Amino acid sequence: MRALSWAYLAVAYAFVFLPVVVLVAFSFQDGRLPVPPFQGFTLEWYGRVLGERDLMEALVNSALVAGVSSLIALILGFLAAHALARVRLPGSVLMRGVLIAPMTVSYLIIALGLLTVFNQAGVRLSLWTAGVGHVVINLPLCFAITYAAMGDHQKNAERAARDLGAPEWKVLALVSAPMLAAPLAAAFFLSVTFSWDEFIIAFLLTRFDVTLPVEIWSMLRSGISPATNAVGSLVFLVSVTLVVLLEVFVFRRVK
Amino acid sequence: MGWGLVAPALLWTAAFFVLPFAAMVALSFAHMEGREVVRGFDPGNYIRIFTDWTMLKALLNSLEITVVVTVVSVVLAYPLAAIIAFRVPVRWQRLALLLAVLPFWTSYVVRSYAWLLVLGQNGVVNKALLSLGLIAEPLEIAATRTATVIGFVHFFVMLLTLTIYANLIQLSPNYARAAADLGAGRWQTFRHVILPLTLPGVVTGAFLTFVLCIGDYITPQILGGNAELTLPQLIMLQMGRSGNFPLASALSVVLMAVVTLAYFASSRWLRMDRV
Amino acid sequence: MAHKATLPLTALALLAVASPSFAQELNALVWCDHTDPALIAPFEEKFGVTVNLKEYEGTAAGLQILEQSQPGEWDVLVIDAVDVKRAVEGGFLAELPADQLPTDDFFPEVVMAENNMVDGKTYAVTEKFGYNTISYDKTKVDPADMQDMAALTSGKYDGRIGIYDYYLPVIGLVALGQGVNTADITADTLGTLKEPLMALRAASKQVSDVVSAQTALATGEVDIVVGGGEWLTAVLAADNPNLDWTIPKQGGLRWAQSIGVVAGSTQPDLALEFVKYIVSPEGQARLATSSCYWGMPANARAGDALSVEQREILRWNEQPEFLKRAQLYPIPDAALDTAMQDMWTEMLNQ
Repeated sequence: MRALSWAYLAVAYAFVFLPVVVLVAFSFQDGRLPVPPFQGFTLEWYGRVLGERDLMEALVNSALVAGVSSLIALILGFLAAHALARVRLPGSVLMRGVLIAPMTVSYLIIALGLLTVFNQAGVRLSLWTAGVGHVVINLPLCFAITYAAMGDHQKNAERAARDLGAPEWKVLALVSAPMLAAPLAAAFFLSVTFSWDEFIIAFLLTRFDVTLPVEIWSMLRSGISPATNAVGSLVFLVSVTLVVLLEVFVFRRVK
Repeated sequence: MGWGLVAPALLWTAAFFVLPFAAMVALSFAHMEGREVVRGFDPGNYIRIFTDWTMLKALLNSLEITVVVTVVSVVLAYPLAAIIAFRVPVRWQRLALLLAVLPFWTSYVVRSYAWLLVLGQNGVVNKALLSLGLIAEPLEIAATRTATVIGFVHFFVMLLTLTIYANLIQLSPNYARAAADLGAGRWQTFRHVILPLTLPGVVTGAFLTFVLCIGDYITPQILGGNAELTLPQLIMLQMGRSGNFPLASALSVVLMAVVTLAYFASSRWLRMDRV
Repeated sequence: MAHKATLPLTALALLAVASPSFAQELNALVWCDHTDPALIAPFEEKFGVTVNLKEYEGTAAGLQILEQSQPGEWDVLVIDAVDVKRAVEGGFLAELPADQLPTDDFFPEVVMAENNMVDGKTYAVTEKFGYNTISYDKTKVDPADMQDMAALTSGKYDGRIGIYDYYLPVIGLVALGQGVNTADITADTLGTLKEPLMALRAASKQVSDVVSAQTALATGEVDIVVGGGEWLTAVLAADNPNLDWTIPKQGGLRWAQSIGVVAGSTQPDLALEFVKYIVSPEGQARLATSSCYWGMPANARAGDALSVEQREILRWNEQPEFLKRAQLYPIPDAALDTAMQDMWTEMLNQ
């Protein structure tokens, strides 16, 4: 039984890592096709990718869209969670339902709906419109995480602050937010991850300036080459570094 | 005061989620005349979806793939999460979990592409099996439904391992001990104690898998080789190639309806605010 | 509390910085071969402008994008030569000054005045052309078989065929296989093409876009690509010299793409300069060998700017023969176009 467990673990890890290993290995392929046989080792594709202006712009665009949209989602979600967890409002169950609803809807539908409305309103597609879509998908997440994290402990601290005469915005900014730092950080970084990697909304709602997944998609469509492997490997490297840093410096500490 | 705080989020959701969805529903009852969208109340798109075999088949393909992926992913992820939670020493668990989901962080578009390289006629899998003499002819996996399912399962096993693990470690070992004291075997303990306690987590993960899988365009588009169409592919075809937004909207509403049905089917176990 | 307010502001400022600068911009709705930096960069440098490029798939979708855009949003359009009329009827293209275009240097067959002109006015100019026929790996199939389209559905190559995922050329090829000229495809004859199209689908392994088709052929996933041509194999010529293409005895299709200035462009002069750059010998040579797919330049003088090897890969010297044997794409009206697309979707999901 025990041996079986370890065997299962090994097979599972092999399955999970197979595509990544192949992706990275053939990013060093000395030839135009990233399939076996391996023809030799080269760093040429990395050089080419790093020198590509469109890709680097897309990378910056992705970081901006992810950062800004996650921040907006976090602020909106936090305020709403605070209100619904503290104050008894009529219809709060319904409001919670409405705020969570986008989580149960396919991104494709959210994108198509927004595209319809933007087209009718004559709004030009840009990084902004894609960012609006990313706030829609991340708001429920930020709301749910912060809502679940709010407890009596904070409530008492907030009441104490209020009793001492602090205005509500000060209570929010100086008491509630710092006490919820860990879940707020978790919500923010999760949102950043989703936005960073999101394709279909960014694909349908951007025009000239695009995000990284969209740029990679058009790269895929305009010629197979180990350069695509190189981009994929680089993105993987950057993401993993960030995850490890977060794990070590943020989440481990706040746990 | 409370209203002021909840208003921004509600307004945002109303303006950029509820309103667009309503606009899409309205558009789904329009039809095309040449390049013109003619608005009105015309159920023609829906009639077409349920009478045109091409459309209906796309819906069925999507449902089949999604159900298979959801079931296979849960069945594979549960033991993995359990092994990490119960077999791996506690101090290594976080690392084991982190490793198990590390490929999560490859770009989503790239991940499907990587599977294409792995599963191809000359891909690593075929080369390995051929050289081991396990097969005589290369397996035809790329550009089939199997490839799509493998690509999906890979992603969702990681997602479900995370959610199921989170559930398992919350279980107090006392439950299992109590069951054992009452004379329950391992299997009985699992079947009657552990499984029911983790069911909400499993169902929530499975529901997320269902929603993400049935609405996904990239994986079947890259791995499926157009051997068949899924609903999202059909939607993108209608939009991207034919410019038929009304039909694309109607197909999206149908997709939405399917997800809603799945939601009600699983709602008694769902914990959407505890993901 | 200042830091709370400044965070979003900083983000906004960052975004503003990242937004396009105030340099002049040209917005072009194009096919994927135009997105090659090697093609665009020389123009950008010469005029000190930025060219924004957006790809689209299929004329219907392209016209839809124009329809939904604000006036003045687009400057340049690349479109299937046979669809220029549709774009002109929709009011999307502006007239071009014919005297400023080097059409005298073009291969005469591809000037295509009957397609690029409406009511005696020029609205677009051909920029690139090639063939949709049959591409194959000559070490894996019998090249003699490839001279006859009937061989594809004979059973000999079942499961080894890929179909290029674009309905117009492939339905056109199927029509040629049935002895129907592309110009004679109507709502009536389309019905008779369904069965052979489905038979071809049944014999094939996959239906793929440009890159998947290239990959599939290069890696041996498939040995034949129907609808392929030099645009498919030329990019890979260096890596896999076994790839070849031919025009079977039933004939093949000639594709051609045109470029024009969008009506209502806010900078028609710059847009015209771009068009003139693309049809100049230098632009033509770069376009012909663009990274997405290769194709013959419409301007014959581009030959001087291409290397001997490049001309060989493009089969420069065989063009007179090819041009004679190839027919144009079908030119469907909106209703027939929808019918063809529906038949295609049905084939995909059969």
